[in-house]
Amino acid sequence: MRSYALRRALGLLPVLLAAVVLTFVANQFVPGDPIMTLLSDRSGDVALEARLRAEYGLDRSLWRQFGTYVAGIVRGDFGLSFRFASTPVIDVIAPGLLVSPLLAGAALLIAVPLGVALGTFVALRRNSLWDTLVVLALVAGTSIPNFALAAFLVYLLSVRLGWLPVAGWGTLSQAVLPVLLLAIPPLAYIARLSRTYMLEVLQQDYIRTARAKGLRRRLVVYRHALRNTLVPLLTTIGIILGGLLSGTFVIETLFNIPGLGRMAIQSIFARDYPVTMAIVLLFTFFYAGLNLVVDLLYGVIDPRIRLGAGRAGRT
Amino acid sequence: MTGPATPVPALEGLDERAGSDFWRRFQRSRNARLGGFLVALVTFAALGAPWLAPYRYEETDLLAAWAEPSRVHLLGGDALGRDVLSRLIVGARISLLVAVSVLALTLTVGTLAGMVAGYFGGWVDALLMRSADVVFAFPELILAIVVAAMLGPGTRTVIVALAIVWWPGIARLTRSLTLALRTELFVDAAIVSGTRPLTILLRHVLPNIVPPLIVRASIGVGFIVMAEATLSFLGIGVQEPLPTWGGMIRDGLVSLRTEPYLALSASVVLGITIVGFNLLGDGLRDLLDPRVRDR
Repeated sequence: MRSYALRRALGLLPVLLAAVVLTFVANQFVPGDPIMTLLSDRSGDVALEARLRAEYGLDRSLWRQFGTYVAGIVRGDFGLSFRFASTPVIDVIAPGLLVSPLLAGAALLIAVPLGVALGTFVALRRNSLWDTLVVLALVAGTSIPNFALAAFLVYLLSVRLGWLPVAGWGTLSQAVLPVLLLAIPPLAYIARLSRTYMLEVLQQDYIRTARAKGLRRRLVVYRHALRNTLVPLLTTIGIILGGLLSGTFVIETLFNIPGLGRMAIQSIFARDYPVTMAIVLLFTFFYAGLNLVVDLLYGVIDPRIRLGAGRAGRT
Repeated sequence: MTGPATPVPALEGLDERAGSDFWRRFQRSRNARLGGFLVALVTFAALGAPWLAPYRYEETDLLAAWAEPSRVHLLGGDALGRDVLSRLIVGARISLLVAVSVLALTLTVGTLAGMVAGYFGGWVDALLMRSADVVFAFPELILAIVVAAMLGPGTRTVIVALAIVWWPGIARLTRSLTLALRTELFVDAAIVSGTRPLTILLRHVLPNIVPPLIVRASIGVGFIVMAEATLSFLGIGVQEPLPTWGGMIRDGLVSLRTEPYLALSASVVLGITIVGFNLLGDGLRDLLDPRVRDR
């Protein structure tokens, strides 16, 4: 188990390196010369231009720049911002650092229990009208982008009923709509999966045995079936988190929330690519790390899965 | 694709039976039928856009700026007085154009890469699958955003970005299907009789992996339409004056308080399209994939 964990962690290195290379290349290939943009009306000032190029390290060879880039990232230094001249990227993104995880975390806390409950509810009423309607709603919930759902919810709850503020960040009522909208896709996704898994588990022999020995249906569902649906559900937490991270880009832009997602998009338009790429790197590292943790947890929770025995752990 | 879970019928007439069975089952599935209807509707709008749209999509009429829905402009006008209905219809064309382009690219590249990796194995396999792993290491949309930022916004950028995100899924699926077929007797027979690998892949492997690929593609359209709308919503996708549903929702949300028609109608159309493709895809999966048939 320990050697498996170590091997998986090492297997992460090429992926992280690929992410670093990609963001570096992206920084090189983006349109426009950032230094000229920075100089704007003083573009004739050769001395200033040379000083800026040196400060940003752009006067050195690509390989040297790449070396500096990698060495910086290891120390948590993502270089300098172009929009805020001579300011380290890390200082630019620091204020938003906790906002996006807070949003995503709150959405996850809503989505998991409600999703499992809803999925179980309709699985036990298979092929009823409830089942059909809820499954239809779940398809809509998983696939319609949340900014399209936002149009309806904002119109209804904020414009028509005036219950919630339209946008902004800071008070609890301002957080309700963003968190709710962020939670809908994972909630629907989890509900769909739990419905499928529950239908599958209910056909198992041990469920029939439990019922045959006279246990009540309710007890069988909650004690025997539900637990076994949670294990496969755990493996999807990576996908769910990936969706939530992408979701913060949209929701933060939409509600004007000062998080990393909005900052990444704004920085694209401001041609402040180092900031965008730093945020992309942070999200990717977080995502990859989390997937590793989930993979390892999977073996801990389900004793039937013997990690490290051959390649059985992955398919 | 054989018939239902009953014993396999006599070989003659098998195809015919399976075919009619497919349609019978398709028509029985309420959700698949609804999906098929919605997809047909959107496809019709996309194909017929130049004739269906009452106005040209870029035609501005400042007197119709933020016009309420009326006989003249059925869904009202946007900030520049462009006819919302016309832009929604042309938007369908653009949305589906992006989806079809991405599918054509990814199905070609992904299927070829997957078959080659699965059939030959070795370093080719390792190389192709590791590069797929790299793509999988990113959350889908975030990678698309990086590529879009790198190439600069535009329709071609969206197509390239989404193709980069989407091909590894196709490649992995094709690879696992090819691996399973590799041990089949008819492939061995083809090898022994001296058939060239390329011919084996195209003539013996490919026809057998088409149904799962169709399912994957039909579910993929929903994702691609969604991703295109998201990039356009963020402003890094298809650019003005071309109409996109994502961009229309963004423009409409700004003035939702006073002029809700734009955001709401674009959201409805986008939602209907995506749900339609997903319902159809789910329906096809249930029909074509024997493993989930009994669920």
